[in-house]
Amino acid sequence: MTVIQVVFFLVAAFTTAAAFLVVLAKNIVHCAIALVFTFFGVAALYVLLDAEFLAAVQVLLYVGGITILLLFAIMLTSRISARGVRVMNEQVGMSAVVVFAIFALLAIASLKGFALVGSPPPASYATASLGRLLLTTYVLPFEAVSILLLAAMVGAIILARREREKD
Amino acid sequence: MEQTEIIEPFQETMEEMYVNMGPQHPSTHGVLRLMLKLDGEVVTEITPYIGYLHRCHEKIGENRIYTQVIPYTDRLDYLASMYNNFGYVLTVERLMGLQVPERAEYMRVILAEMQRIASHLIWMGTFGLDLGNFTIFMYCFREREKILDLFESVSGQRLNYSFYRIGGMPLDLPDSFLTDCKAFLEWFKPRLPEYDAVMTDNIIFQKRVQGIGKLDQKAAIDYAISGPMLRGSGIKWDLRRNDPYSIYDRFEFEVPVGSTGDVWDRYMVRRLEMAESVKIVEQALRDLPPGEIMGKVPKKLKPPAGDIYSRVESPRGELGFYVASDGSEKPYRYKVRSPAFVNLSVLPVIGAGHLVADMVAILGSIDIVLGEVDR
Amino acid sequence: MEKTLERFYAAFAALGIPWIVPQLILMLVVASLVILFISVSVMFMIWWERKISAHIQVRYGPMRVGGWHGWAQSLADGIKLLIKEDVIPAGADKLVFALAPMVVFAAALAAYVIIPFGPNLIVRDLNIGVLFYISISSLTVVGIIMAGWSSNNKYSVLGALRSAAQAVSYEVPLVVSILGVIMTVGSLSMIQIVEAQQRIWFVIPQFAGFLIYLTAALAECNRLPFDIPEAESELVAGFHVEYSGMRFAIFFLAEYANMFTVAAIATTLFLGGWHGPLLPPWLWFLIKTYFIIFVMMWLRWTLARLRVDQLMNLGWKVLLPLAFLNMGITGVVLVLRG
Repeated sequence: MTVIQVVFFLVAAFTTAAAFLVVLAKNIVHCAIALVFTFFGVAALYVLLDAEFLAAVQVLLYVGGITILLLFAIMLTSRISARGVRVMNEQVGMSAVVVFAIFALLAIASLKGFALVGSPPPASYATASLGRLLLTTYVLPFEAVSILLLAAMVGAIILARREREKD
Repeated sequence: MEQTEIIEPFQETMEEMYVNMGPQHPSTHGVLRLMLKLDGEVVTEITPYIGYLHRCHEKIGENRIYTQVIPYTDRLDYLASMYNNFGYVLTVERLMGLQVPERAEYMRVILAEMQRIASHLIWMGTFGLDLGNFTIFMYCFREREKILDLFESVSGQRLNYSFYRIGGMPLDLPDSFLTDCKAFLEWFKPRLPEYDAVMTDNIIFQKRVQGIGKLDQKAAIDYAISGPMLRGSGIKWDLRRNDPYSIYDRFEFEVPVGSTGDVWDRYMVRRLEMAESVKIVEQALRDLPPGEIMGKVPKKLKPPAGDIYSRVESPRGELGFYVASDGSEKPYRYKVRSPAFVNLSVLPVIGAGHLVADMVAILGSIDIVLGEVDR
Repeated sequence: MEKTLERFYAAFAALGIPWIVPQLILMLVVASLVILFISVSVMFMIWWERKISAHIQVRYGPMRVGGWHGWAQSLADGIKLLIKEDVIPAGADKLVFALAPMVVFAAALAAYVIIPFGPNLIVRDLNIGVLFYISISSLTVVGIIMAGWSSNNKYSVLGALRSAAQAVSYEVPLVVSILGVIMTVGSLSMIQIVEAQQRIWFVIPQFAGFLIYLTAALAECNRLPFDIPEAESELVAGFHVEYSGMRFAIFFLAEYANMFTVAAIATTLFLGGWHGPLLPPWLWFLIKTYFIIFVMMWLRWTLARLRVDQLMNLGWKVLLPLAFLNMGITGVVLVLRG
């Protein structure tokens, strides 16, 4: 067993544990904090896959941006963070069956299916090629996403503004 | 414990939060407690709670003979003890119709104006601290130390002097005082531009204090505001000018006023007043006559029955003493009109609607001393 | 360097010990060295800050402990903090409260991986170099929010909220301001960025970028004039108001460690890293870094604090457009020069 494998299992266990905590924790702030660790674990997995750029972006956007905004929102609505929330309802048994079915399906697919795809592409200095691809082959989707995000941002600002005028 | 309530987050609204600022808080300048109602970072409501330093000052005064009240007045505004002594002895002298010798009058004015400088220095330093500038605090304390050294050479005390007596002064100035005081003034004058370099001309400082905590002239008069706060609002009212006491009518000095009544104006008024006080002290030192320092005062002070209200312009505003006598050795009624208390009463008006950081600056610009607010 | 490593591994292989053992030993040694460096440099920085503040304020600062100009003062303070009682407030969320300083310190520690102290003195020259620092530093904010929320104190929650808002707003101009350098070099690797500055330091062509970076970095470190999350006159101490003893010391350590990181990255990106005549490279690197730290301290003891809205305005309306302008101009120049 190499160091990489040891690290992989450690990180995987950490990520899964954190993910369980996200779902099962009673306090919503604990959920959000566990989410941070989940994202971080996923980023570590990316590093193990030699996708360092992706890992850095994962941490930058998900940990540094999204979860912080999430925590922000939770803390501003103070009544949520003070109370526990219900994490299970009466359909827990049925959903467990569905989840395990999907998990089995995915496990079989990844064990049998990906073996046919062949070896992964050689690890290269990904950042530069990623940038080149984004601005040549995939420039249209890239720009479309940009416009979508801009529209979303403008929309958010307008919504926030209207709220304030009402007061 | 199983909690079964389902929360719908989107129906929650931003709630208003109550924050207790003080009695232990770095920028309440003592044991003042403010209940702040916050909407995010904006203060929507301020409720000051006072009384943590209440010492029954007035009741104690009614149970002491007239001379014994003087040490208690020290503890009112402990940053300007000389001025409290001044106000009190002046009141009793007026009640009894006592004459004070010339030299004592000059001594009183010199010490009082030096006290004003010291008090404004403390204010300036702590105000800088409120805005996050630590260095000005140290600069101001360096100068104040020198003033305290001078006071120590005169009275033997550094904070609570109890140095004024009804009818005069207890001790003459020491021989070295004249030269020391002049040397201090010469040394102090170039320090004022130094403060400007650190505070007044700093763009961050200006942006922080301009346009916040506006107190218009009508509100200032309605709330009976006095002192630099009143002058900051543009009303030229200084008791040294408008109702001269002691020998203030003999000196030439300007009364700086602001225009809009914001924190910046109050800052500038105090900053300029320091230079004016220097002028007064210089004139007083020049004209200081020789002679007696204690007037003719009876052994037992028994003012004739009657009452009097007399006021002086302390560094914080109109410091008034009301003394009613029934002809005995002790005051029948003794009341202090404290400027810090009255000025503080306007805080809920000028502080609401600002950010927490601005509220701190506004509170700092009022220049309260809790010893005087609570009495 | 490489040869020593090979010999190190070979020695273990000869004994029949699996490869994983020497690798783990190596990791531990490097990590301990980094932590040792952080502790020593932070102690020095604290002493230095006290001395600088003292001399700016016409006083002496610590003069007693250790004899010469109170050099051992931070050491004494550290020991004092270590033996203090560990206080956890009654209403606090104990787990999160204990975890928060660790998260903050871990983020500060991780950033040292990419600091190039000299040509071979770098823990790991990552491909993503600068980006690694930027992403890992965002973890600090999570720690701060955890600390603020778990303390169960309104002041610390306010401090944490301010801190989150500030970090999110100032990360954007920080990233954009260093893009000019990255575009010129064409690489994110710290070593390559330093090597590209053999002839001219980037502070000259990228002066605007340098200033924007420095301003945003001050805000990232929560230092005056941007120390709004812990403004003592408003929020007492902000997010760490309930912390005391060793937990507080860890926050303090992380804060100064962050300051060093920020200054080290400024040195790497703009001041030519370890390049310099006569003196050994690592010394040059430290001299430049401590100079930037000195500037940061100098600003702290001269300026007043900004207000929250002013801070936001500065970040979004001044720094960000300037940073974009800088990036655009750099791009145009690079294209024109081919």
